[in-house]
Amino acid sequence: MRERLASALLLVALLAGWEAWCRLGRVPALIVPAPSSVFATLWGEIASGRLLPHLAVTATEMTLGLALGCAVGLATGVLLAEAPVLRRLLHPYIVASQVVPKLALGPLFIIWFGFGLTPTIVITALICFFPLMENTLTGLSQVDSGRRELFRMLGASRLQTLLRLKLPGALPVILAGFRVAVVLALVGAVVGEFIGGRAGLGASIIAAQSVMDSSLMFGGCCCATI
Amino acid sequence: MSTEAPPDAFVAIEAVDFGYGAEAIVDAVDWAIPRGAFHCLVGRSGSGKTTLLKLAAGLLAPQRGLVRIDGVPLDGPGPRIGFVFQQPTLLDWLSVLDNVLLPLSLKRSLQEADRETARALLERVGLSAFAARHPAQLSGGQQSRVAVARALITQPALLLLDEPFAALDALTREELQDDLAALWALQATTVLFVTHDIGEAVYLADRVAIMAGGKLHHDLAIDLPRPRSRAMRYGPAFNALCRELRQAMDAAP
Repeated sequence: MRERLASALLLVALLAGWEAWCRLGRVPALIVPAPSSVFATLWGEIASGRLLPHLAVTATEMTLGLALGCAVGLATGVLLAEAPVLRRLLHPYIVASQVVPKLALGPLFIIWFGFGLTPTIVITALICFFPLMENTLTGLSQVDSGRRELFRMLGASRLQTLLRLKLPGALPVILAGFRVAVVLALVGAVVGEFIGGRAGLGASIIAAQSVMDSSLMFGGCCCATI
Repeated sequence: MSTEAPPDAFVAIEAVDFGYGAEAIVDAVDWAIPRGAFHCLVGRSGSGKTTLLKLAAGLLAPQRGLVRIDGVPLDGPGPRIGFVFQQPTLLDWLSVLDNVLLPLSLKRSLQEADRETARALLERVGLSAFAARHPAQLSGGQQSRVAVARALITQPALLLLDEPFAALDALTREELQDDLAALWALQATTVLFVTHDIGEAVYLADRVAIMAGGKLHHDLAIDLPRPRSRAMRYGPAFNALCRELRQAMDAAP
């Protein structure tokens, strides 16, 4: 409780310092706006109802991209962990493919999928895929050999070993990958909108420099909910 | 060592070899366990005793020779064999009761009668108050008790134990030995118990063999009366048996 109070006080102190620096240091508002004006702008956007549709678009892209990327990543991770042949065959290429800057594929995806939600969802899914796949693969291969022997001794089938031993055992590692994917999904969605979005937080950031701070605000809200 | 297994042998290990490359881990071992007997193998670490136990469990296949259970050649792990590992190897995400029920729940859907059986087993190992807890909330000795209960839930005809109490303190180990002896007397299970502790072997077994360098060396019948009591551990007969085994162990190559 005291730690929480302290961290809340820290936030207040930082905001106050920022405000004081802007006012006393005569920093131009165009470069660094004071928090009071950020909140005022943000409130204006919310009150006028302009911000919420953008938020909804970004949240949709983020959720769909995250779900798609995580589902494919989890499935690929399980497949590669269970089939060593496939793993030796495909894993090097999957790792190598991660070097491709996925955001740079944005313009290509606009040609393939048109403007709108789809290219951003695909970019977000591509970004979320890797942490899920890699952590699933690692988690499943790290299952304690003693427990695997126990399941052999108990005559468990391969599917039973996967569902009742490997996946529950790997869950902490898989969830760690999921947390990374959630953070990356937000980056993917917002930056995807920079490239080809007409709606969403990224697009509104590009459209209006004064709203620049709302992404900061949104990031804070997101982290809080997660 | 006798090569001809007696006709009443429940477990017959016949001229079994196992090794990695040129190195022999288990070297032409013959051993027979009558139905319902409690046998111990004593050896230093690296003597091949765990490997022999895994051969008897069907977890490893012998490169030469044969393991028979009740006359039938063994071709893999089966529901008639219970195994207690060196580590308790409980599943952290299941309750103690569900850990005990695991062997059954992998075979079929559970009945209320199964839960009753599991509770009764937990009661017998003194853990009835812990059924809803998770393994991380138990002490090492309690975890070992759960592992023994889990191995017994299928009422196996053969129970194999691989130094199950090695990681416990001496007092807890003695308690668990008494519990195991009591469970064995109740269930009429054939037991092969592997340990590096001579006292443990003499206290528990009908018959003890020394294992060294992949071979069985010394075969000693333990004729102490049953049920065995703690006072026996300090008696002259007990100590004479321990001394004999110790000397045999030192004499083994």
